[in-house]
Amino acid sequence: MGLSNSESSQALKRTVIVAIFSAVAVVLGIVEAQIPLSAMGLMPGAKLGFANIMILTCIYFLRGRDAFMLVILKTLLTAFILGTFSSLLFSLFGSLLSFIVMFLLMKGGRMQLSLIGVSIAGSIAHNIGQLAAASMVMGTTSIMYYLPILLVTGIVTGVAVGYAVRYLVSSLSQISLFEEFLR
Amino acid sequence: MKRADMLLIAVILIAALAFLVPRYLSGNEGKGGEGKELVANITVDGKHYRTIKLTKEEQTIDIRTERGYNILKVHDYGVEMYEADCPDQVCLGFGFITRPKQTIVCLPHRVLVEIASPAGEDEIDGFVQ
Repeated sequence: MGLSNSESSQALKRTVIVAIFSAVAVVLGIVEAQIPLSAMGLMPGAKLGFANIMILTCIYFLRGRDAFMLVILKTLLTAFILGTFSSLLFSLFGSLLSFIVMFLLMKGGRMQLSLIGVSIAGSIAHNIGQLAAASMVMGTTSIMYYLPILLVTGIVTGVAVGYAVRYLVSSLSQISLFEEFLR
Repeated sequence: MKRADMLLIAVILIAALAFLVPRYLSGNEGKGGEGKELVANITVDGKHYRTIKLTKEEQTIDIRTERGYNILKVHDYGVEMYEADCPDQVCLGFGFITRPKQTIVCLPHRVLVEIASPAGEDEIDGFVQ
């Protein structure tokens, strides 16, 4: 391998961080599945989006392709543990759209939006992505009936996730593993 | 939070309200009841499956496909998903629906139940092949 010592150590660190983050994201996904949101009278299928905490943190510290890897890993693992093939398809669609939106906002709009704003945008993008996938599969647009409610819940969960990411980033910044990824 | 965050939240809220307000204003007149019976269109995998009348009397509708089964219950001019063997059980969370355009979706089974008024143009879409 043509990697120098420090380069390969950084690549190793990246891999380790992605592995740890996807493990935590899967656990968060399982914890989230135990909370019966629809029983509380909310939109059925609405989720808190805890796993987004890890994805947004990963975008903050690492490169886009590392975060992309995390999104794929987390979605596959969560679907294998909790879901079915069709739910894998929907969550993949939502997660990818949410990742793209958050990545672009972090790279391009970092000056305007804080982490909380980015998280809200990501959560909304996730909802829109899933609704779009669902309406394609069902061959109808009447599912878009739920869009306004999902927009409002997206703001609430986005703010919660955004605050969590802020605390997580400031804590992780003090760990030596993350030192060289700080900007 | 920065100002841009607040702006983003405001824009999304306004968009959500713009969708919600007209629906809220026209909400009650569309409600079913005696005399103006609504129907529910059931679609499976994008294809029309059955159209049922929403009556006050109770009736159960079985939808059995190779993916699994869904049991719908019609009563009091509305309809609800009563039982299903889908893995996520999200369809049960939609509750009892009574108004046109409201839907119950079971994604794993590709089942869609949508309420429409019998004379409305909503229904025509279901029959055009």
